[in-house]
Amino acid sequence: MVQILVVDDDKEIVNAIEIYLKKEGYQILKAYDGKQALEMIKNHEVHLVILDVMMPNQDGFETLQEIRKEKTIPVIMLSAKSEDYDKIEGLNTGADDYITKPFNPLELIARVNSNVRRYVDFGSMETTKGEKIYQTGGLKMNDETKQVTVDGEEIKLTATEYHILRFLLQNKGKVYSIPQIYENVWNEESYGAENIIAVHIRHIREKIEINPKEPIYLKVIWGIGYKIEDISH
Amino acid sequence: MEKLKSSSLLRAICYVAIPLLVLILIVSIAHVSLVSKYGEVSERKDYLQTENFAHLYYNTILSNVLNVNSYRNNANRRYSPYREIQNDDNHQAIYYEDNSRYNSVTSKCMDYIILDKENGTIYTNMKSNDYQKEMQSMKDKKTYWNYTQGQIQTNMESINQDNIKFLYSSSSSLEEFEEIEVYSSFNTKLMATSASFSMQQKIYDIFKDNRNATAYLIPMTVIALAVIFLYLCFSIGHQKGKEGIELSSIDRFPYEILVTISFTIIGILCSIMLASFESSAMGNLIYSIWLLCYLGSYVSLAVLGITTIKRIKAKEFWHSFLVYRIFRWVKRQIAKVVTKAIDGSHMSKRITFFYLGFVLLSIFLGLMLGSGIAIILLLVFWIWVYYQLLQYGKKMETIQNALKDIYEGKKEVYLNEEELAGMLKRMARYINDIAGGFSNAIEESLKSERLKTELITNVSHDIKTPLTSIINYVDLLKEEELENPKTKEYLVVLDKKSQQLKKLIEDLVEASKVSSGNVKLKMETIDLKELLNQIRGEFEDRFEQRHLSIDMNLPKEDVKIQADDRYFYRIIENLFSNVTKYAMEHTRVYIELVNTGYEIHLIMKNISKEKLNISADELMQRFVRGDRSRYTEGSGLGLSIAQSLTELQGGKFQISIDGDLFKAEIIWKK
Repeated sequence: MVQILVVDDDKEIVNAIEIYLKKEGYQILKAYDGKQALEMIKNHEVHLVILDVMMPNQDGFETLQEIRKEKTIPVIMLSAKSEDYDKIEGLNTGADDYITKPFNPLELIARVNSNVRRYVDFGSMETTKGEKIYQTGGLKMNDETKQVTVDGEEIKLTATEYHILRFLLQNKGKVYSIPQIYENVWNEESYGAENIIAVHIRHIREKIEINPKEPIYLKVIWGIGYKIEDISH
Repeated sequence: MEKLKSSSLLRAICYVAIPLLVLILIVSIAHVSLVSKYGEVSERKDYLQTENFAHLYYNTILSNVLNVNSYRNNANRRYSPYREIQNDDNHQAIYYEDNSRYNSVTSKCMDYIILDKENGTIYTNMKSNDYQKEMQSMKDKKTYWNYTQGQIQTNMESINQDNIKFLYSSSSSLEEFEEIEVYSSFNTKLMATSASFSMQQKIYDIFKDNRNATAYLIPMTVIALAVIFLYLCFSIGHQKGKEGIELSSIDRFPYEILVTISFTIIGILCSIMLASFESSAMGNLIYSIWLLCYLGSYVSLAVLGITTIKRIKAKEFWHSFLVYRIFRWVKRQIAKVVTKAIDGSHMSKRITFFYLGFVLLSIFLGLMLGSGIAIILLLVFWIWVYYQLLQYGKKMETIQNALKDIYEGKKEVYLNEEELAGMLKRMARYINDIAGGFSNAIEESLKSERLKTELITNVSHDIKTPLTSIINYVDLLKEEELENPKTKEYLVVLDKKSQQLKKLIEDLVEASKVSSGNVKLKMETIDLKELLNQIRGEFEDRFEQRHLSIDMNLPKEDVKIQADDRYFYRIIENLFSNVTKYAMEHTRVYIELVNTGYEIHLIMKNISKEKLNISADELMQRFVRGDRSRYTEGSGLGLSIAQSLTELQGGKFQISIDGDLFKAEIIWKK
């Protein structure tokens, strides 16, 4: 049984999250400030923490630092602060993910699932020698079985989407413009087919990303092109 | 007293009385002086008996003799009044026109012949063909006086041999000139025709009966005149029922000119009078001329006197001088020119001062230009002045640059006041103050913008937390089984509105951040064609849902600009998202990219679904939506954010409305 600790000074939010996550089959522990949270972690086996940033007594970041002194469990920060600055600070402090209030319940569940899988099942899909496997972070592509998984969960892609994603994954970290992608995937010059590529990429993003507007893997660099982020744990 | 002061009748009497009194005074004084000169004479004959006449006569003779003597001795013959004239057979005659300066009346009436016995030369004031005969006949004249062989022969008792001893003579006596003989006669009739003599006679005649009248007439007239003068001084200028001194036009006439005119008139009249004194004309004509001259002189003198008194009393005496007026005019003109030039400015005064100094020093050195040192000094001085001007110009430029910096909005503007002096120093101080105030103001406004953004951010955080609960519980409710079908409807509304509220808060934070410039830009080279294709890809589905077709018109060549890719995307995203919200379904959306060479225009046109009865400017303001209603989705901040973001990155954002055609244009300088 996976136990998730939800920490927020707003009890209603904690309760709502509890309802959502219970439906997903998680066991929920609740805390209403940083100190309680640390107590909980000390006394119970916690697999994941959802931690609100703005709390009385001890705020989320301080609590996170305390947690990180002993544990490597995934922590998802929950904050009303939506600035990039806040997200970066949260991630730098040691958070694994960041969700801004008000959040979409589905996104929350997806992120929780993703993080739990990564934490609990990490390494379950060991690379078999000889198999063509492309990976970045939780995104894996087995070119032998034509299987794509995100944090272990299989994703269904169309053939075109698969080819585009494979090309980008093979060259992860590099930015390709639409014509470049077209030429490399179709091996022919692009004549006004750019639009199709953009649509495909959006579709890929919608499938592999939890929040397509804030993608982790397939990033859009506006006016330049697209790339697969090179994430190595 | 007042009546007396302003009585014109009394004044008129005074004006009439003055000439009469003065005439009486003159006549009295004349009589007194005549009496003292000639004694008490009543007849012409008597006059010849007077010691005064004897004195005159003898001295006239004597002066002529002295003249003759000096001529004889060749002393100063050149300057001698004697001129040689045609003589008769026996004698060399020398005629002397103005025979004596001693007394004109006496000598005019006198004929004389002076004979130099040594060479028989005749000195005379007579014109004659036969001087021998003249000399002989001299004895037969009514009054004669001869001096021959050291003896005086005369029928005038007062100048005979005995009496002559008592006559005063300053220089010498006749006895010294034994070689000289004098023949002379005196014409009393001629004397009578002389105006001055007849005048004297008249004066004598006036006081014939009362010879001592002058003794009281003089003091009386003097007192009367004094009284009248004082009264006039007191009264002149005052008029009935009027305060102060009444000045007429003549009282304003330049005083010197008036004096000149007046004395010229008097001078002319007096010279006429004096000329007539010497003339032999007689009778009433002379008297009327005299009277006219006298009255004329009196009138002009009176006019002058009256105006003088008036001017003094009105305290306008000096002001009425032409010299004063000229001086005042010149002074005013100079003052006018100077005030115009200086115009109350302290700087002009200084410049004038220094410029005068420069000119004077140049002139001074120029005058000494003869010496070499002066030339060198002058050159050095000029070079020095040139150097100073250059320095001044440089400093002015510094100040101008500082002002330009302020004008351009630079924050750190500071002038070193120590390097400057005088007005420049003050200017520098003011500029520093302004610059300080300016940068303070900028800081203040930035600070207040920051505070505003912070406030909005903080408030939005506080709103977001309860909103999270609302959204979550609405979502949870949706999954509950509800008996009343209406509740589901209500839940849809709640869901929609809470999502809208979420979007609104996010946009609000962004708008405040963007409009306060509180964003960090990461400028990169962006390919606009790529960007438009990417965005199109992003929006394809949504456009299709609304049956909007995109007509994209892109140039063949790459169009690259410098921009922050994420914020630039936000601009276009906002525009696209506006289109999906507000464009009419089944219409085309035109996107055009134009590269003019200098600028890049990104133009987006679509047909609005609602009537746009609003101006473009209003539309760009925050929280404004085309339909003015709040039923549509969106926060109304989209265009405002797009505009702020465009301007932040150095572009221009314009929108225009033409009927239902909505056009947005982004202009980017290359």
